Amino acid sequence: MRALLLLTVANIKSFTRDRAALFWTLAFPLIFVLLFGSIFSGGSSERSIGFADLDKTSASGQLKTAFAALPNVKVVDGTEDELLASMKKGDVSTVIVVPVGYSATVAARQGPANVAVYTDPSQSAADATTRQLVGFVLSAVNQQAAGVPPAVEPAFKTIQTNDLTFISYLVPSILGMSLMQLGIFASIPLVADRQELILKRLQATPLRRWQLVGSNVLMRLLIAIVQTAIIVGVGSAAYHVQVAGSWLLIGLLILLGSHSFIALGYVIASFAKTEDAANGMTSVVQFPLMFLSGTFFPIDAMPDALKTVARALPLTYLGDGLRQVMVDGTPFSPLWVCFAVLALWLVACFGIAARFFKWQ
Amino acid sequence: MSTPTAAGADPVIRVAGLHKAYGETRAVDGVSFEVQAGTIFGLLGPNGAGKTTTVEVLEGLREPDRGEVRVLGVDAIHDPDALKARIGVSLQTAALYPKLTVVEVLDLFRGFYDGRGRSTDELIGLMDLGEKRTTRTQDLSGGQRQRLSVALALVNDPELVFLDEPTTGMDPAARRMLWDVVLGLKAAGHTVLLTTHYLEEAEVLCDRVAIMDHGKILEEGTVEELVSRRFKERAVRFDTIDGLPDERLTAMPGVTSVKHENGEVLIYTRDVAATIGAVLDAAEALGVEPANLGVRRATLEDVFLDLTGRALRD
Repeated sequence: MRALLLLTVANIKSFTRDRAALFWTLAFPLIFVLLFGSIFSGGSSERSIGFADLDKTSASGQLKTAFAALPNVKVVDGTEDELLASMKKGDVSTVIVVPVGYSATVAARQGPANVAVYTDPSQSAADATTRQLVGFVLSAVNQQAAGVPPAVEPAFKTIQTNDLTFISYLVPSILGMSLMQLGIFASIPLVADRQELILKRLQATPLRRWQLVGSNVLMRLLIAIVQTAIIVGVGSAAYHVQVAGSWLLIGLLILLGSHSFIALGYVIASFAKTEDAANGMTSVVQFPLMFLSGTFFPIDAMPDALKTVARALPLTYLGDGLRQVMVDGTPFSPLWVCFAVLALWLVACFGIAARFFKWQ
Repeated sequence: MSTPTAAGADPVIRVAGLHKAYGETRAVDGVSFEVQAGTIFGLLGPNGAGKTTTVEVLEGLREPDRGEVRVLGVDAIHDPDALKARIGVSLQTAALYPKLTVVEVLDLFRGFYDGRGRSTDELIGLMDLGEKRTTRTQDLSGGQRQRLSVALALVNDPELVFLDEPTTGMDPAARRMLWDVVLGLKAAGHTVLLTTHYLEEAEVLCDRVAIMDHGKILEEGTVEELVSRRFKERAVRFDTIDGLPDERLTAMPGVTSVKHENGEVLIYTRDVAATIGAVLDAAEALGVEPANLGVRRATLEDVFLDLTGRALRD
């Protein structure tokens, strides 16, 4: 145990003295949070909604008031054509069109009145937020129309405190991405140590292989804690992203996810003969994981072919699990599936590495 | 065998019929030898002779194709873990964590053994690394890295020390310092197995040497035995004199053969005094004085040349 701890400390020293490793594991995710945060939190603080009222009744006026009462929302009047044109210019993010006969349909209870909502799916975050906002307003209107007393109010409060902006989608996503990088980047020092004959030299000491691997995993878990603190800390301090779910579940996800990706790092180290090759292979693995796992935009917005790929990738499930637990994100898969898929990847990678990893 | 001096009559190393091939190349091709406790044994040979492969099998780092290896009474092939706490190893290329300092690497390796052994300060003093204590190993010179590698081989005060080409990259002063360290190990009752391609090193340090080439041991014994077994005569040498043909030299008393090397003449003879007299007479007749006249005993270099037909450093 003492040898394992000493080796862990030595690993941490080597890590903190390696500027590239420090950048990729600590600064890089921080930059992502700050960069995306500053871009998207600005947009979400003042959201313009175009409102084309073709009905022009008190009922449609009430609907407009309901939207105008939303936090950080500005309602812009105009005709449907005008508003769609300014949406294309980016002046408004959404256009809502209330058709003629809206109030009559609502009053007569003749089934749902159709309110057209134009959104831009390429602005995925704004899109998601808008859909939620519209959904909440309309459900409040529906409940009022049905004569339900203002039990609606508390539900509306929930949306204010849990204001799901893109940044709250992004924080758990970037945490997942960082844990992925932390894990697969384990391959590079490992291959370097093998190339430098350090692994061979260690084999001539009483140190056991499990101690060597254990110290590697331990070091990366400690860094994972630091990463989590930085990312969640900055998300919370700068953008008021709050952690909704249980820290125990978050911890378990981080623990399992880190193990799976470290095992993937060992798989890379099993096939990379030189440090350069390990660098290249790590990039080849990292970028598809980064962009196809729903880190920056929801998987639902992807074309079907990519969705199939996303469904197989481990980061999809780590990110999804973290979003569900941390910010009540919409589940892509049930939480137990997230755990199961990550565990499956861990077992598979462990098996491959155990079979192919060479110590010399 | 708990202390190095109590080893008794059993050899510390016994190798029999060792074979190891890499593809078509027979790196080690039927090697057998023994090393007695408290001695320094040298494996001598050019690069690629199979020295390193042999040593790595003994260290438990490599599995041979066949053969028997007992080290410190342990089967090094099937039970290498039983060996590791009791041996010290310096690989041919120093393997060091690049970002750790000299002190940190030594402390780390000390931690792999349960408390026994030498202190970090003692090792730093022994290998003269005091000025480099807090230098990262990536910033050390080749010779300094090698010294640190030897220091790491000694952290557990091992009964048996393997040093693979320990003085490669060292300047002459560092080399002599390392020789003192190795002789000190022997004086303290430890056993040392070293490989080298410096014959001078083997002559100074080794009680016994084995000359390896192409995976085989060509000759084994004390340096004295190896030399006298092959060369009964000694050599008279002097700078080449123009107008003194080889026929005149071979006709001199006691001479067995004549060789020319780097502008000097080597006359192998059984009668040094008579040969020198004849050389002086011949030179005087030509009106010159032989420059740098001297007598040379045959060395391991000559043995190696004689065994393999090439110089060791080629």
